[in-house]
Amino acid sequence: MLDPTTTQLDRYLTLVSQRQKLVASNIANADTPGYQTQDFDFEAQLHAALQASGDSTPAPPLASAVPGLRVKNDGNNVDLDREARLLSENALRFNMATNFLRSELKDLHMAIQGGSS
Amino acid sequence: MSLFNSLSVSASGMTAQRQRAEVLVENIANADTTRTAGGGPYRRQDVVFEAQAVGQPFSSVFQAQLDNQPKGVAISQVVVDQSEPDRRYLPGHPDADKDGYVSFPKVNPAEDMVDLMSASRSYQANVSAISAVKEMINRSMDLFR
Repeated sequence: MLDPTTTQLDRYLTLVSQRQKLVASNIANADTPGYQTQDFDFEAQLHAALQASGDSTPAPPLASAVPGLRVKNDGNNVDLDREARLLSENALRFNMATNFLRSELKDLHMAIQGGSS
Repeated sequence: MSLFNSLSVSASGMTAQRQRAEVLVENIANADTTRTAGGGPYRRQDVVFEAQAVGQPFSSVFQAQLDNQPKGVAISQVVVDQSEPDRRYLPGHPDADKDGYVSFPKVNPAEDMVDLMSASRSYQANVSAISAVKEMINRSMDLFR
């Protein structure tokens, strides 16, 4: 993208939306027998994504079953409270990053217009 | 785009829960039905959920194979309760057998009501997920302004 900051914000947003997809999937499968909660290590993946060089988008992280959740009688271990927390957490993260990105773009716009905005 | 895909995942959850609610309501409505097209009393039905990749187009199916995509949910089958019906002694009933017993469906309305509440809660959870994702998409759109 435009500069290192926007590139990093872009990767952050991509990662947050990928995680949101997993949360949506976990909620949809809250009553599916045998379904295991899927997630990835957000901090580790973010670190890896920010370290990656170049403009290319890193490959989507592989999701795996989350250990330590209470398994119900039907073998399903989706915890709706956990998913609700992640749902709002992701929305807030996304919000914050888009606000940053917007102010970056605004600065650029101002520069293009010679400060007259 | 990744976010639009999560909308279809949540939508599949809503569809599945709605179909489950339909089956449960049918059970409650037919709690006293002694006559069916197939003969005998009504038999209680229940749904079985199954995780399933969402999005039919070839590219998304292909992509799902590539990167272990999150799954939506679908109803894999509707199971019919095969247990013995309840027998009540009602000699005047048109469906009574020669001993005067009528077979009634083995439907426990309390059980179906609890399942119905669970379906409704899960439906709400999916709706919340859709609203959250919708908000995120709107935020991205705002970047264009």
